[in-house]
Amino acid sequence: MVNLNAVAPGGGREYYVALGLEGSANKLGVGVVKHPVVGKHEGGDFSYDCESQILSNVRDTYITPAGEGFLPRDTARHHKNWCVRLIKQALEEAGIQNAAKDLDVICFTKGPGMGAPLHSVVVAARTCSLLWGVPLVGVNHCVGHIEMGREITKAVDPVVLYVSGGNTQVIAYSEKRYRIFGETLDIAIGNCLDRFARTLRISNYPSPGYNIEQLALNCKKKDTLLELPYTVKGMDLSMSGILAYIDNLAKDLFRDNRKNRQLFDRDSDEAKISVEDLCFALQENLFAMLVEITERAMAHVNSNQVLIVGGVGCNLRLQEMMQQMCQDRANGQVHATDERFCIDNGVMIAHAGLLQYRMGDFVKDLSETVVTQKFRTDEVYVAWRE
Amino acid sequence: MALEHSLDLQIPFETPQQAQIAVKVLKPDPILRPDDFEVDYVSNGSVLEVKFRSIDDRVLRVGVSSVINSVKTVVEAMDELS
Repeated sequence: MVNLNAVAPGGGREYYVALGLEGSANKLGVGVVKHPVVGKHEGGDFSYDCESQILSNVRDTYITPAGEGFLPRDTARHHKNWCVRLIKQALEEAGIQNAAKDLDVICFTKGPGMGAPLHSVVVAARTCSLLWGVPLVGVNHCVGHIEMGREITKAVDPVVLYVSGGNTQVIAYSEKRYRIFGETLDIAIGNCLDRFARTLRISNYPSPGYNIEQLALNCKKKDTLLELPYTVKGMDLSMSGILAYIDNLAKDLFRDNRKNRQLFDRDSDEAKISVEDLCFALQENLFAMLVEITERAMAHVNSNQVLIVGGVGCNLRLQEMMQQMCQDRANGQVHATDERFCIDNGVMIAHAGLLQYRMGDFVKDLSETVVTQKFRTDEVYVAWRE
Repeated sequence: MALEHSLDLQIPFETPQQAQIAVKVLKPDPILRPDDFEVDYVSNGSVLEVKFRSIDDRVLRVGVSSVINSVKTVVEAMDELS
C-alpha cells in the first residue's frame, strides 16, 4: 500500500513545500510547489492528484543566434550566471522568507541531460542544502515530466509520449516502473526539428520548434504532401535519415538548384515547393510516426488515454493529430499541457522530487548527488504508485 | 607519467562553516580523467585550500578554471541566499 504521508512535513506544517531546480539542457528553471497533507494519500494510488499548488515557476532560456545550436560549455556558463538569481526570484515570488524553515526539500535534476549544465545547477543545489539544512532529492528528468503531466491533467494511468529536444519515448507504467515501449534509435524529434530550423536559419526565439510550427501553418499546399522517408522500426523510430533528406531539399531550394525536379517545375523552372511546405511536410511526417507507435502502445496496454509531455508536446498540430487517433479508438482522450509545464521547468522537478521525498527517498550522502548524462526512465523505482 | 604540474589555491571565506560547506559541495564530483588530473579540497579554518596536480599545464589550467567557476557559484549562493 502506498502511503504518501509517511514522512511528516517540517515545522508542524499541514503542507509540504519543495524547491525544484532544472538545468539539463538550454532552459534553466526554478519552481516552488506546495502539497497539502490530504487524508486519502495514506492508503492508495492518488499520486496523480496531489492538489499541488504552484507557488512560483521561473525560467530563463539560453537562446543562441539563428543557425546555431547550444553547446554544453556555453549553456553551463549561462546556468552558472543565472542560477542563484533565479532561485532568489522564485523564493520571493513564492513568498518564502526563511528557506531553512519553510522548505521540506530541494529537488534537482540528476539526469539525463548535458553534463556541464547539470553540474552547474547541482553545485547551487548542494550549497543551498548545506546552508539551509534542507535535504536534497535527485530527480530523473523524464519522470519529472511524466508526474507533472499527470498532476496537471489528472490522467490516472496514461500511455505517455515524451517528446523533447533530447528524448523521444513512448512510456507506460507497469509494476513500479515507467517502462519504455518505443523510442528513437538515433536523434530525438526535437533535435530533428531544431537542426532543420538551423538549416533554414530561422530564429531560435522563443524556440526553433515553435517557429517551424508557425511556418507550417502558412503552407499553401496542405493537400499535396511532399513525400519524405517514413521510418518507423517496430515500436521504435529513426529520424536522422529524414533530417538529412529534408536538409538536402532545403539546401537545393536555397541554392536554386533547378536540376532538382522535386522542387522545381520541369517546364516553367519555377519552385513548386516553399520553405513553409517543407516545414509542413516534416511535421506531418514525424508526427504521423509518433501517432503510429503511440497507438500501438495503447493497444498493448489496453489504455485509451495519452499524455503528451516534453517541449515538442506543446505543438498544437501534434496534439490535434493525436486527438484524431484517440477519437477513432473508442473515445480515447489526449492530455497535454501548455508551455509552462511542457517545456522544461523547475516545478516538475519539485513535484516529482516531492513525491519521492514523501515516500522517504532522499539523499543521505552528497556522493549520491553526482549528476549523470545517461539515466533511463525505467531505472527509477516508482515507489509512489501501486 | 607523473603528475608534475601543480597549483595550490587558498580561498578565504567569512567563517569556518562556509569553508567546510565549500569542501562538501565540491568534493563529490568525480574527475573525468583521474590519470591526468588530481584535485584535493580541505578546509583550514575559514580558508578553503585546493591542491591541483596534473600531467601538463594545459590540463591543469582547464581543471583549475572549472573549479574556480564552481567556487563562484558557491560564494554567490552564500552571499545571496543565506
